[in-house]
Amino acid sequence: MGNPIHGTDSTAGATAPAVPVSADWIAWTERDDPPLYRVALWPYRSLGRQGQRCVLWIAAAGVAVPLAASIGTMAFWGLLPFCLGAVSVLHLALRHNTRDGRLTEIFTLWPDEVRVERREPRGRIRRWRATPQFLRLTLHPRARIQNYLTLGGGGREIELGAFLSPDERLALKHEIEIALARAR
Amino acid sequence: MADAAVHAHDHEHKRDFFTRWFCSTNHKDIGVLYIFTAGLVGLISVAFTWYMRLELMEPGVQYMTMEDGSPNGHLWNVLITGHGLTMMFFVVIPALFGGFGNYFMPLHIGAPDMAFPRLNNLSFWLYFAGCVMLIISLFVPGGNSQLGSGVGWVLYAPLSTREAGMSTDFAIFAVHLSGASSILGAVNMITTFLNMRAPGMSLMKVPLFAWSIFVTAFLILLALPVLAGAITMLLTDRNFGTTFFDPAGGGDPVLYQHILWFFGHPEVYILIVPAFGIVSHVISTFSKKPVFGYAGMVFAMVAIGALGFVVWAHHMYTVGMSHNAQAYFMLATMVIAVPTGIKIFSWIATMWGGSIEFKTPMLWALGFLFLFTVGGVTGIVLSQAGIDRAYHDTYYVVAHFHYVMSLGAVFGIFAGIYYWIGKMSGRQYPEKWGKWHFWSMFIGANITFFPQHFLGRQGMPRRYIDYPEAFEYWNVISTYGALISGLSFIFFLYIIYYTLTKGEKVTEKNYWDDQYATLEWTLPNPPPEHTFETLPTREEWDKQPAH
Repeated sequence: MGNPIHGTDSTAGATAPAVPVSADWIAWTERDDPPLYRVALWPYRSLGRQGQRCVLWIAAAGVAVPLAASIGTMAFWGLLPFCLGAVSVLHLALRHNTRDGRLTEIFTLWPDEVRVERREPRGRIRRWRATPQFLRLTLHPRARIQNYLTLGGGGREIELGAFLSPDERLALKHEIEIALARAR
Repeated sequence: MADAAVHAHDHEHKRDFFTRWFCSTNHKDIGVLYIFTAGLVGLISVAFTWYMRLELMEPGVQYMTMEDGSPNGHLWNVLITGHGLTMMFFVVIPALFGGFGNYFMPLHIGAPDMAFPRLNNLSFWLYFAGCVMLIISLFVPGGNSQLGSGVGWVLYAPLSTREAGMSTDFAIFAVHLSGASSILGAVNMITTFLNMRAPGMSLMKVPLFAWSIFVTAFLILLALPVLAGAITMLLTDRNFGTTFFDPAGGGDPVLYQHILWFFGHPEVYILIVPAFGIVSHVISTFSKKPVFGYAGMVFAMVAIGALGFVVWAHHMYTVGMSHNAQAYFMLATMVIAVPTGIKIFSWIATMWGGSIEFKTPMLWALGFLFLFTVGGVTGIVLSQAGIDRAYHDTYYVVAHFHYVMSLGAVFGIFAGIYYWIGKMSGRQYPEKWGKWHFWSMFIGANITFFPQHFLGRQGMPRRYIDYPEAFEYWNVISTYGALISGLSFIFFLYIIYYTLTKGEKVTEKNYWDDQYATLEWTLPNPPPEHTFETLPTREEWDKQPAH
């Protein structure tokens, strides 16, 4: 059994981002036997949830200064919508950008099947499966994306962990190779 | 599932001219668009000042006259207003924040693009629409039965609420569009900076230019909505019968000044802080040393930004504030000298013992350092409420803020252009011409503005088309300086044209041979359309041993 979560260091968030689980997903994961290897990958984001809250509080405190100074005047009501609007737009932007980073790729390996499931930020789920015996795991060192990692099988060639750093893709390839050797 | 794109990504996607420059969502292209548009508007704005300086060369009104030969004060006011509005909203911020910020901030932090590329496109076109609207405001009916708005860039009520015609409305809408553009741009920059830094690049490892853009973005986010609220109230006072700033209806014109300057003072730092970032990189590169006191530099920028929000009323000591209020604003203003001093001394310490190379960008950075310090020192003089009584609304103030902005922020823009033009275009400027440009501008700008301190001390009031003969001597000299600066600017435009069309090609990525180079120097010249599709590694960006 491989490392259940890949990249808990600087390359990925400390915990997997929350993605709504659809009925489809439950059906897909309904295999009773434990996998030989499973790894979840997601892109790096440099601002955590606590950091977001901190930034929003600072922004709110900043816009409170002119609002507090104009309390009791008619101008307060002229300033209020714009000040609230600015903080709201910042809040939406940070939330939206964090959601955009909610991309996960889950690679799961059984002795008779390998599955990759990709959950995209807007909820779309894309799936791929192949037979481990015929799986082609290829690292492209000189591709446009350095150490681009692809999986071939089931009539398609797909990318894996394109959002990781080159070194991480290299390490991921080694991990998968070891797991595949055991599966075969 | 995402199909592999290993072959499809091997070639650059070709875009036609229209798609690239009109529909682009690429941060580098949008940065270039900002810089060129700001340059064009800057040329118009500078043309206004030549005309004004020409008029001020001698006492009496020689050029700005009506058909019957009487002085056309409205035209003068329109040019003053146009120069102020364009420079404050449509030239310096777009060039430094929109232009260099867009182009280099994502590169510095290793992000593939801005967090919201389409919002970035929208920001630029809002800014462009604002430029167009401001230019239109010059040609639609305004006050005094003439064209254009002559209420000054500060749009003080009740002058702005009573100016006839729709020109002032156009100008206000132009500022609105520019403000909306800046706020959206700021939100984009903040999100990008906070959320998209390369793995391992903690806040205290971010290059100083990216930090400067982040601080500026926060200032914009907090200050621009206040301006938007203020000018919206002006619009409703003008058009819908409200009385926010009209005492006859319970409003207060002094309140407008408070609100305006709550935005207006941070605006000064919005203009200058990105230049701090550029100058830090340039001085480090050409001193062949890492920046001295990185943490101090970061905290000084943050402190300058924060203090900028609590000193606004030093612009309005004469409106009738209490002594206690004046004492507070004096002290708070003087405190800003501390973080500013930290920056100045850190730049000097960066050069200290370094192997200094006086290339053109370094000359501009040194010019910035010297002249910004002069502007800062006269700012300390003006921060004294008692002294400000004498200098308020005189040419001393004009000299002071031009030393900060015309000689500070604009020198920062030139430093950035010469530093990065090879990176942005793949062609290098002729070094000798760059130096001629620097010296002619340095001499011309000083001849223009230094005598204005003397005029202010003599008591010459600002914003007038004419003056008594007693002020002629320094006005003549100042105008000669403006002509030298103007010719220097035209020469600069030619340098840019020459560089972009016939300049020597630069193939070396790190062509300044900067051993503490930031991430843009790991890319080809010019950088490809898509950058950092692969996350940059720590070895590529972590080169500053000091932090």
